[in-house]
Amino acid sequence: MRRKVAIAAVLAATLFGAAACGGDDKGGETTKNPLDGTGTTLKVWLMVDAQSGWQNVVDDATARYKAATGGDVKVEYQQWSTVLTNLDTALAGSDVPDVVELGNTQMSKYVFDGAFAELDKTKFENSANWLTGLSGACDFEGKQYCAPYYAGARVLIYRTDLFEKSGLKPPTTYDELLAAAAKLKADNAGDKNFAAFYMPGAYWYAAMSWVYNEGGAIAKNEGGKWTGTLSSPEAQAGLTKWADLVKNYSKGDVTKDEADQDAVFAQGHAAMLYGNGWELGAVQQQRKDPNDPNSPMVDTKVKGKVAAVALPGATAGKGIPSFLGGSDLAITEKSKQKELAQEWLKYFTDSTANKGLIAKGALPNATNLMDEVVATKPDNAAAANAAKSSWFVPVAPHWADVEQQGVLVQMLRDIVTGKATIADATKAADDKITAALNQG
Amino acid sequence: MENVVVTGGDPRAAADRVGSTPTAPTAGAPASAAVTGADAAAGLIVASAGGDDLVAPESRRRRGLFGADRATPYLLIAPAVVALLALLGYPLYRVVVLSFQAMGHRQLIRGEDPAWVGFANYTRIFQDSVFWSVVVRTVAFTAVAVVLSVLLGLAVALLMRRVARPVRTAMVVAMMLAWAMPGLVSSQVFLWLVDANFGVVNWMIDQIPGVDFHNHSWFADPLQGWIVITAVVVWGALPFLAITLFAGMSQVPKELSEAATVDGANPWQVFCAVTLPILRPLLGIVTTLSIIWDFQVFTQIWVLRNGRPEDEFQTLSIHSFITAFGQSKYSLGSAVAVVTVLLMLGVMIFYVRQMFKIGEQD
Repeated sequence: MRRKVAIAAVLAATLFGAAACGGDDKGGETTKNPLDGTGTTLKVWLMVDAQSGWQNVVDDATARYKAATGGDVKVEYQQWSTVLTNLDTALAGSDVPDVVELGNTQMSKYVFDGAFAELDKTKFENSANWLTGLSGACDFEGKQYCAPYYAGARVLIYRTDLFEKSGLKPPTTYDELLAAAAKLKADNAGDKNFAAFYMPGAYWYAAMSWVYNEGGAIAKNEGGKWTGTLSSPEAQAGLTKWADLVKNYSKGDVTKDEADQDAVFAQGHAAMLYGNGWELGAVQQQRKDPNDPNSPMVDTKVKGKVAAVALPGATAGKGIPSFLGGSDLAITEKSKQKELAQEWLKYFTDSTANKGLIAKGALPNATNLMDEVVATKPDNAAAANAAKSSWFVPVAPHWADVEQQGVLVQMLRDIVTGKATIADATKAADDKITAALNQG
Repeated sequence: MENVVVTGGDPRAAADRVGSTPTAPTAGAPASAAVTGADAAAGLIVASAGGDDLVAPESRRRRGLFGADRATPYLLIAPAVVALLALLGYPLYRVVVLSFQAMGHRQLIRGEDPAWVGFANYTRIFQDSVFWSVVVRTVAFTAVAVVLSVLLGLAVALLMRRVARPVRTAMVVAMMLAWAMPGLVSSQVFLWLVDANFGVVNWMIDQIPGVDFHNHSWFADPLQGWIVITAVVVWGALPFLAITLFAGMSQVPKELSEAATVDGANPWQVFCAVTLPILRPLLGIVTTLSIIWDFQVFTQIWVLRNGRPEDEFQTLSIHSFITAFGQSKYSLGSAVAVVTVLLMLGVMIFYVRQMFKIGEQD
């Protein structure tokens, strides 16, 4: 009997002790500074680009965060192909990352579904000048749910040696571009593989630039109802020009997307390419073993023979509108340390961090920092300028479904393979886009 | 068939042992096989029917010893049943439940309970013309792939019977290696082979004078794309089919085909009249298995189309996966999966019946 009492006492003591501990914790949280991160660890999901491109920027922001709060940060790097599946799995459970990076076209769906916590925009440096192409996806019902991280804009990458050999200058109008392509095609007719302008058929970020260049758009929103507008005369005019370029001057698999276009261009059989600013580096230097991120960089056949300019568009002196790609950072709604997460986010998106990104060839997250690019990275100036004239996908909660269904890719493929006329293909795409964007 | 012959002999011996009247047929030597196979099987049934009474006292004694004799087989099979229920039954149950709900992205990440919507998901997919075109495509692909792989498997098995031993060993080793390669890996290799810019297939065809396969895209034309996909699937299925059918053929007694040859049958007649009838049950099983596998083909298409199959390359399993995980319409995807399972069930019933038939023969 006495033993039983003893056990009960021990049990009770343990329970009360635990309760006391819990009470202590709660009391501690209300009294102690929420920005004291001693003993905490933030879990951050970044895409692999940070790991391969600007690890030093991540480390620097983390070091400044540690110095200020005393908290620790654990960064996990994700692959683009699997990040959404991983994120869905994590969010369905309780062990969630505190900070998550997503592409700006992927963000809307998560913001709309309530996956992320609201941020205090006023606490972020340069937040008044954030690129709208990046922050637009973060904005929902007047509240800010994510912060812009970095951007990329597309430019014309061309072979200086081939242009020189054919007596050409970098084009400043679209007609000059076509004339240059025709001349290059004729001058290099001996090379069966030669593409005057390498343009993969499923590269929809590029094709849509031609659409926006003619004044078209993917979809419009009227009174809350979305309508696909790719069959508009302007959009069709843009797609016609784009398809002519593919058919006349590109060589290669028309069903391919842009994923391996740097590798194709690096083989030396193409004179022009439409790619992100940083692809200027990617075509000149590649990993010896593409599957091993630690293998040494080796020079490609086109090393030192390439340059970048803005791809000329419909209006003289102004480049073709570029898709403003990029990434945003958000704090998960399920995170238990939102204040600390926002603190780290502030360091990782401020001017200091952005200068680090600029040095590595990315575009900063705010317009006032673009001049810095022009001043310090002349190679990237074309991209910085292209970012000023840009287009973005419809900011609709269900836009991600349009991408996942491959609506645009299917349309472009049908056009370039001649399976459907531009009128029919765009009509079919419009129906799918309208249905996808308006679903409940 | 050898099994049948052997067991056909055993009960006879048992019957002799217990001294019952020889009810077993006076079949010749066990080696004369197949023709007498049916008789031997009949003997087995008769013998076991007669044997029941004889062994009954012994089994009654055993029951007295352990008390729970009737439960023993169930106890023994319990772990397997529990494992099957946990690993297959529960997911299946979840899929069926999900297909009657409205589980979306929001419900998943916010942990909200999805609403019950009855048959709404099913009416939606049945009214969707895309779904029906996917069903037709899946059935057509399955038919072509199964016929091709079984016929080619049979051809390779027949070839293996005629070649010299070292060649046969080499064939088996080569097929085992191909068989051991995961579908993900082999599909990736095939993807590189048919790559438009760097692929060796285009290069090789291009070597033929007058043929221009430079930068030829194998997936621009759906028919060509499906030829590539079918080739990869059939390639992957061949080793199992060829080796299984070869093993099945080794059960065909040489005497029978020799006898047929002596009687003036040509090789084709020997194959049709002797080999094929003996192989029939096995052929039935491998065909059913092939149907089940090819009907739910996923990996090969997924990899060959870079994880984003266009409309004309979508089969039921891919359509279901994209709906559920690509578009986060988990319930709609589940409904597609349930319909796929129901379609397969018809085939499965045939397969299970075959298995039982063979079990009875044993």
